Amino acid sequence: MRKANTKRLGRVQGPWGHLGLLLLLGWLLAAPALGAPRPPRQWRALADTASAPPLPADATAQAPIRRPAAERLRELRGQRELQYVEGTGAPEGAGFLARLMAWLWRWLAPVFNTKGGRVAWDIIFYGLMGATLLFAVLKLLQVDLTKVFGRAPRALPLAYETGQENIHELNFADALAQAEAAGNLRLAVRLGYLQLLKQLTDRDFIAWQPDKTNQAYLRELAASQPTARPAFAELTRQFEYAWYGELPVSAALYQQVRESQRQFGQQLSGAGRAAHLA
Amino acid sequence: MDPQPLNEPTPSAAQDAEPASAFASGAPTDAAATGFAPRTDLSALTGQVEAVRQQIGQVIVGQQDLLELLLVALLADGHVLLEGVPGVAKTLTAKLLARTLAVPFSRIQFTPDLMPADVLGTSIFRPTQGDFEFRPGPIFASVVLIDEINRAPAKTQSALFEVMEERTVTQDGTAHHMATPFVVLATQNPVEQEGTYRLPEAQLDRFLFKLNVGYPTLAEEVQILQGHHSGFGGTPLEKVKPVLSAQDLAALRQQVGQQRVEANVLEYIAKIVGQTRAHKALYLGASPRASLALLNGAKALAALRGRDFVTPEDVQTLAAPVLRHRIMLTPEREMEGGTPDDVVKAIVQSVEVPR
Repeated sequence: MRKANTKRLGRVQGPWGHLGLLLLLGWLLAAPALGAPRPPRQWRALADTASAPPLPADATAQAPIRRPAAERLRELRGQRELQYVEGTGAPEGAGFLARLMAWLWRWLAPVFNTKGGRVAWDIIFYGLMGATLLFAVLKLLQVDLTKVFGRAPRALPLAYETGQENIHELNFADALAQAEAAGNLRLAVRLGYLQLLKQLTDRDFIAWQPDKTNQAYLRELAASQPTARPAFAELTRQFEYAWYGELPVSAALYQQVRESQRQFGQQLSGAGRAAHLA
Repeated sequence: MDPQPLNEPTPSAAQDAEPASAFASGAPTDAAATGFAPRTDLSALTGQVEAVRQQIGQVIVGQQDLLELLLVALLADGHVLLEGVPGVAKTLTAKLLARTLAVPFSRIQFTPDLMPADVLGTSIFRPTQGDFEFRPGPIFASVVLIDEINRAPAKTQSALFEVMEERTVTQDGTAHHMATPFVVLATQNPVEQEGTYRLPEAQLDRFLFKLNVGYPTLAEEVQILQGHHSGFGGTPLEKVKPVLSAQDLAALRQQVGQQRVEANVLEYIAKIVGQTRAHKALYLGASPRASLALLNGAKALAALRGRDFVTPEDVQTLAAPVLRHRIMLTPEREMEGGTPDDVVKAIVQSVEVPR
């Protein structure tokens, strides 16, 4: 295999190699002075002109001036294909968008066709390019642009899937009366507890949010009104046993719970507003 | 908004009976007197769990949340995956928990060349009888500690699918049933560590919880050093005694199974898990098995907290341990540096608490 390759290489190198050598030799002989600096192109042009014999001036022959006929000129000017000034209006039969763009351009053209307009256009164009580049760099670096001016982004409202009763819109007196009348005392305990949550929210002791649990409110209350925590913890426990624990609530038990809830609500009314949140 | 810390018990009447000036209401503080008391006697359960906690607490410093969730998994009949960097007592905690239970224990060190038969067992030909005999593998125990589970390839992992879910091993057409209880406690290093594989989704789904084991606090680390310095570090396992038998555990699990769950709380669980299937940051959502895991875990946690019913607080507390290994982030969210815990938190915040 190696031998065959060598043979093939020898065949190729033989005649072509000799021809290449001959060409190289010819080029070396034809070159005037290889290695000597060549004069600049302008000098060479001047030298060629200087060496050529000067021609005599043609004083006799006058080129005839031919002008098109006036009729033909009018005819040509009338042809639409030869009118190179673009019209500002939309072409016939153009759609609404094309006509809108044409109208817009007709309105803007006088502004941007002035010298000042062109400068303004340049400023806008380069400004936009720069802003795009800056935005891309900041995005790549994951810089939060909303914090550039020293303000943290505001939390977006949560996308709650379903909304139960809004405690701020519920008429507790009516709802409680209905639940009591229907003998649904578990529901009545729940409504009484929701009413307390509303009161706590109104007084800024807690911040109502549908995803918070009762224990979360207890922790908030412990921070804002520590003295209220034990009583509210007991009421929370009662609510949780009645509602989540599905504990049957007797009339006597309900009276007890309702009284506790009323008492807490009254004490809450006299407690003022939370100092840290108000 | 974060759920209640695990170690903060639900306020009980006795706990909150401290004097309060303006709000010293006439609300009775004796739980039994008010009628708002558990209808199931949970004192045996809390007592036995406390005994387990005390045994492990002799050796392990801190990690109270981890311990609490391990106990929840034990009561909920679930397997646990412990993830953490090397040296944070993952294996020790699992071994200690196993030691507190008076049940057969086995340990399997997962390596890249481990074969399914090395785990499950294999049939051996008996020339004298002229038949095959099944030799059970190390998986046949009540508490199985699989150390470094993600160092074995998918082929070996798939051997665990059946046994973890169905509690049986089918070999040569014969189903071999596992003893009760059967708990797999697996440890793994984060996937970024060298020489580890990502576990198949089907296997991850079979773990009730994935618990992240973090570093101890400064005070806890000093306590660890003090204990070790004073000779405590010699043979810590010997300090721990079995305090819970298989029968005890079965009784506790039965009690947990009878916990009450209100219909709205069930719906709350379903909504949270359902949101994972529609979340734009997730490529894979959680399965209905995740809903069941959340329900069972919440029931056990409620029992540990002395309640005979589940509250949304229990569900929120367990949402991350139950869901974090069952969901897959989209590549875009991963590149943005998002974590499954962030997404779970956002999902929990987007679902209204039933009240």
